[in-house]
Amino acid sequence: MNMRAGLNFRGVARHVVAAASLVLLLSGACLAAETAPEVKAAGPVLLAYGDDDIWDENGQIIKRTVGAPNMSVADEAASTSDPLEGWNRMWFGFNDKLYFWALKPVAQGYGYVVPERPRLWVHNFFHNLMYPVRFTSLMLQAKFDAAAVETSRFIGNTAFGLGGFADITSDSKTYKPIPSTEQDLGLTFGYWGMDNGFYLVWPILGPSTGRDTLGYVGDYFLTPTSYIHPWYWSASAKAYDKVNEVSMRIGDYEALKDASVDPYVAVRDAYLRLRFKKMND
Amino acid sequence: MNKIASVFGALVLVVAFSAVALAGEPQVRLKGGIDKVIAILSDPALKGPAKRVERQKKLRTVADGFFDWRELSKRAVGESWPRYTPKQQDDFVVSFSELLQKTYILKLEKYNNEKVTYVKEQVEGNQAFINTLVVMKDKNIPINYIMIKRDQWMVYDVVVEGVSLVKNYRSQFSKVLSKESPEALLQRIKDKIKALDDGKNVDDVVGKEG
Repeated sequence: MNMRAGLNFRGVARHVVAAASLVLLLSGACLAAETAPEVKAAGPVLLAYGDDDIWDENGQIIKRTVGAPNMSVADEAASTSDPLEGWNRMWFGFNDKLYFWALKPVAQGYGYVVPERPRLWVHNFFHNLMYPVRFTSLMLQAKFDAAAVETSRFIGNTAFGLGGFADITSDSKTYKPIPSTEQDLGLTFGYWGMDNGFYLVWPILGPSTGRDTLGYVGDYFLTPTSYIHPWYWSASAKAYDKVNEVSMRIGDYEALKDASVDPYVAVRDAYLRLRFKKMND
Repeated sequence: MNKIASVFGALVLVVAFSAVALAGEPQVRLKGGIDKVIAILSDPALKGPAKRVERQKKLRTVADGFFDWRELSKRAVGESWPRYTPKQQDDFVVSFSELLQKTYILKLEKYNNEKVTYVKEQVEGNQAFINTLVVMKDKNIPINYIMIKRDQWMVYDVVVEGVSLVKNYRSQFSKVLSKESPEALLQRIKDKIKALDDGKNVDDVVGKEG
């Protein structure tokens, strides 16, 4: 692979400028969407029986506020409005077909040929490579300890873990094991207090929100594989990462889909709650 | 010599009991259930596709003993629950638990010697919240159980990575109920079970709008 990350300063500068302008553009769109006439989220129905919930999803005792007496903060995140539901459902259907007709068969074939252990190495490699996204996000959230942990993990795994294929630092017992985090800019914006805005389903990328979409743009420029040249090698690297991940997760989506009476709503609820949880990790 | 032995024996007993006392009643009960499930899944006599029916039957028996399906259904339906007649409610509980068992028992089948750690236990009145962590190869998954005291402690909600089973269904059910009758929702659950029995759906793409 001929990576040119960081070598071509002019190129990088151009990317940064493009990113900044895109961010501005999208935040404009975002604001517009937020001031647009309130779309009624199916209403906080809920809670005829749930309002005696003592704990939230993580086991924190719920402190009831005056404004929203029956909802935990996670519930509020989960009731993010979905003004584009028809459009979103269309792309949800598209992604569903993409999964069953292309991604899953490919991932299954790949998983059949390549044993689990090497696939874990590949997972570690790509996770290690995404260090800039995590580092930047954690610094922007002023979580300096976690950023330092990520940095030492990155250096340790890159230098002594065969360039990140082996995740040696997850086994190192200092005084307690140091797990890596999952952080990105969408979560950072959320940590800063930005709302989800609205729910949005992207083709291929899947479930997202206005806020997370903004995060994608920044994440793109922080992802080393984005700088592989030419573009189709960059895309292949990302696609390979995706196939590898899916090969280790086959069955998750199927179970959720089979068990639900409305898969679209089930996925939306799960995505919004999972993101909310990660934001507070 | 005998005396020493009996003192030692007493000591062992005390230590054993104090270990039990450290974890409260709900956690002991939960661990008992999870250990049973793990025992079934790792029992060599029950491995392989030939034993599938027998294995799943055993898992179901364990699940029925540990889940309060009525409480779970009631909370998932939420404020529309009284719209069902008592008879329909019974029907709903049976169908909904059937759907959950059919789909999630399949997931358990992928068990691969993951370890379960019990992180924290909280008890408030007749409810309990237990945080556990399932340690997998490439990551750890937090799974929390919410229990309620009946004759015994029973699980009524499971939270996987911040996603509550009850609340996930509540959002789906309220979506369906905003457009259709309670009977139609019950019928949807039954249709889903039937489709699963016919071996359809697993690889089917999403059909018409819900």
